[in-house]
Amino acid sequence: MKKRDYYLTAISLILLIGFIFYADNNMDAYMVRILNLCAIYTILGLSMNLINGFTGLFSLGHAGFMSVGAYVTAILTLSVNAKVQNFFLKPIAAPLSNVVWPFFPALLLGGALTALVGFLIGAPALRLKGDYLAIATLGFAEIIRVIFTNTQTITNGALGLKGIPAYTNLWWSFGIAIFTIVTMILLINSSYGRAFKAIREDEIAAESMGIDLFKHKVLSFTIGAFFAGIGGGLLGNLLGTIDPLMFRFTLTFNILLIIVLGGIGSITGTVISAFVVTIAQEALRFLDQSINLGFVVIPGVAGMRMVVFSILLMLVVLFYRHGLMGTNEFSWDKFLNVISMKKPLLKGGRK
Amino acid sequence: MIKMTLDMFLQHLTNGISLGSLYALIAIGYTMVYGILRLINFAHGDIFMMATYFTFFGVLFGGKWYIVFPITIILTALLGMLVEISAYRNLRDAPKISILISAIGASFLIENLAIVIFGGRPKAFPTIPLFTSVVHIRNISIQRLTFIIPVVTVILLLSLLFLINKTKTGMAMRAVSKDHETARLMGINVDRTISITFGIGSALAAVGGIMWGLKFPQIQPLMGVMPGLKCFIAAVIGGIGSISGAVIGGFILGIGEIMLVALLPSLTGYRDAFAFILLIAILLLKPTGIMGEKISEKV
Amino acid sequence: MEILRSDNITMQFGGLTAVKDFNLTLNKGEIVALIGPNGAGKTTAFNMITGVYKPTNGKIYYKGSEITHMAPYQITKLGIARTFQNIRLFKDLSVLENVLIANHLHIKSNVFEALLRLPKYKNEDRKMMRKSLELLEIVGLADEKHEKSSSLPYGKQRRLEIARALATSPELLLLDEPAAGMNPTESEDLTKFIRQIRDDFNLTIFMIEHHMQVVMGISERIYVFDYGITIAHGSPKEIQNNQRVIEAYLGVDENA
Ligand SMILES: Nc1ncnc2c1ncn2[C@@H]1O[C@H](COP(=O)(O)OP(=O)(O)OP(=O)(O)O)[C@@H](O)[C@H]1O
Ligand SMILES: [Mg+2]
Repeated sequence: MKKRDYYLTAISLILLIGFIFYADNNMDAYMVRILNLCAIYTILGLSMNLINGFTGLFSLGHAGFMSVGAYVTAILTLSVNAKVQNFFLKPIAAPLSNVVWPFFPALLLGGALTALVGFLIGAPALRLKGDYLAIATLGFAEIIRVIFTNTQTITNGALGLKGIPAYTNLWWSFGIAIFTIVTMILLINSSYGRAFKAIREDEIAAESMGIDLFKHKVLSFTIGAFFAGIGGGLLGNLLGTIDPLMFRFTLTFNILLIIVLGGIGSITGTVISAFVVTIAQEALRFLDQSINLGFVVIPGVAGMRMVVFSILLMLVVLFYRHGLMGTNEFSWDKFLNVISMKKPLLKGGRK
Repeated sequence: MIKMTLDMFLQHLTNGISLGSLYALIAIGYTMVYGILRLINFAHGDIFMMATYFTFFGVLFGGKWYIVFPITIILTALLGMLVEISAYRNLRDAPKISILISAIGASFLIENLAIVIFGGRPKAFPTIPLFTSVVHIRNISIQRLTFIIPVVTVILLLSLLFLINKTKTGMAMRAVSKDHETARLMGINVDRTISITFGIGSALAAVGGIMWGLKFPQIQPLMGVMPGLKCFIAAVIGGIGSISGAVIGGFILGIGEIMLVALLPSLTGYRDAFAFILLIAILLLKPTGIMGEKISEKV
Repeated sequence: MEILRSDNITMQFGGLTAVKDFNLTLNKGEIVALIGPNGAGKTTAFNMITGVYKPTNGKIYYKGSEITHMAPYQITKLGIARTFQNIRLFKDLSVLENVLIANHLHIKSNVFEALLRLPKYKNEDRKMMRKSLELLEIVGLADEKHEKSSSLPYGKQRRLEIARALATSPELLLLDEPAAGMNPTESEDLTKFIRQIRDDFNLTIFMIEHHMQVVMGISERIYVFDYGITIAHGSPKEIQNNQRVIEAYLGVDENA
């Protein structure tokens, strides 16, 4: 990196910290929640993009990974009292009833266990390719959900968990989002990242160049799972309630939408698109609810929002396959170019 | 374990066979489309769901079943063709991942349009006594439907096999599934053949949907998701691309599921996971399924 | 000294026998060619040697140890590299990245060391970079290093494939029709180039080629396939005068 770029990056970071500080103190709870969601979806989008975009493995198991992270973090951070209240059908299994961990270690363990699950699922599933892999990963996610629904004494089954402490705040969510972005950049631009991309481009050529396909696929899958678990943990401790139904395929669909819209294989695109999609999800909420215009009430139609998003997804894939960024990335050079290009245009316009 | 009387066993078996027949009908659609486009038609389960709504409204508006059923089948076939034209046709040469994403988009679109149009709440499917009335044999009582479903499935299967192996359309379908380019050179209209394949697959899903509605008389917009996934799994178990394989897979899954719940009631909660476990096992042991042929990529 | 040997390797696809009882011996430092009409099974033989296909029958030995059932990446690690007839570059990646990727197999740093950019990794990365740039220099693609590999003209793509294969540090290099689509001057250059890399990198080269000018000018020994069967084997002279070869191949499909 050039010196100039260091400065520019440092300045942007400081600006971001200033913004978080401002938002944390001055914005209302609703806005803060949306910002948190944006950051969490950035993490989730990046983790899915690592697997699907950079390594070319079409995996649809993200909701399953997230649920592992969310449940582990939630169970570890729930207070003893809240556990008693939640588990009124059957008490929670013995060692868990008294365990209360601080947020960060709980989140880390959530990520680590999700990575382990990712590894265990990846080891058999990654022998499959293309749509078989897609269905198998979707199946695993569904199996995880069914297991969580049935393990009453650990997850409280279909009832879900309530009263999860609201530890997730802007510092955590943005802090971890930035950490994830940095990790992804370092990973993708390393020799391992190049191996991932080689697998995406052409498995047979990659293997003939000495790349152990299976090892690298499992590696990418496990790292992706780790971050998905962290994202899930952040989400659970943001929302305060989780239940198995939350982690259906729809959740995976939302993340898929983010990476497709942003450009499969672009970190920058994922980040931009995570914000755009999350904010749009909130902004379009009115479609599902009725609006009162004073003199007339426009009835909302449940499902309308998802109709819009499904159409959006299809339009992007059908007509604009590379999404916002394709496989391009942000660089200060390009950014400054874009900005300075505009100036002569403006001048020209004034003449 | 529970001891089972012969009567109970027979009851479970007939249930399993009729559920398996339904799975088979839907699985055929997956296998046909996969055979011709190498694509999981994610929207197939939703097309199946739409068929139940077509019948629901047909009967609601006073249609007699022998009029409503054929109309349902035709509308569903048209819907399947529409999905193909709008979601897949543009992407013939696109990377596989794009096609899959489009398929998922189409599936979500249909589900949510159904929620918007029909509402999310379940509706009661009409009962048609000719199909739904109960007959008593020995100590067990069984719906007529339980016998009708397998018979219909077998008749449709035989007609389909005839169509594929003995008619010109069938020959075109087989040619296109081998290689689009060669088929085109032989003068076959590839797009039309693919459309017809979608039409037939969807029509079978419609028959499956009607009978599903009669058997489990509660319909809702997301009802196609699970059967859809399970039937895809059935198709994979049987060997994707093979029609008789899809039928075998459907039966294995249907009977297996019913027997699992009957023999090990404590695992009832895991019923929906059963299909996926079976899928993963089969993919790892014999990725080509029971009837599938191995294709190795030319390098 | 023998570097590679195959004992009666056979490859069947369903009812089709693409290669039958192929007995190959390659000695260190040799340049050997494999020729034969289209569809004779030449590429299939390459695919068996590199582990892409598992032979239906027979065994393959590399430096005395059996490699028949090894995965392609393991075989490459042992020192056998290849190019592809129908060019298989990493299309969306840059020319430089294509070559860098082929260095990855010898990496000693684990993923954490790479992520944290520890000195051990940085050192390795620097070496990979230096080696890749050198290779690009050698094949004459240094100026195009940042271009997308699929944007290169066909001839340069073929050279990039060779650079990529060399980056794996092979001892045995398999070239599948390296002169395809080249005019006579270009093939002349290629012939020199192949000899040069053989000498500079201490390689053994086994190549499939249709251009007779290249084959006859470069190879020390030639194997001839027809319908999967080895119909002749010998020096270029012997092959040129072999009646069966002339019937099966030279008379029918001479396009060089
Ligand atoms: N994976 C495969 N599945 C089925 N048949 C195959 C496969 N790979 C090769 N074949 C068949 O094996 C035969 C030999 O093919 P191969 O590619 O080895 O020929 P070749 O000698 O390299 O021909 P060319 O000069 O055209 O490159 C051909 O008939 C081909 O169709
Ligand atoms: Mg060849």
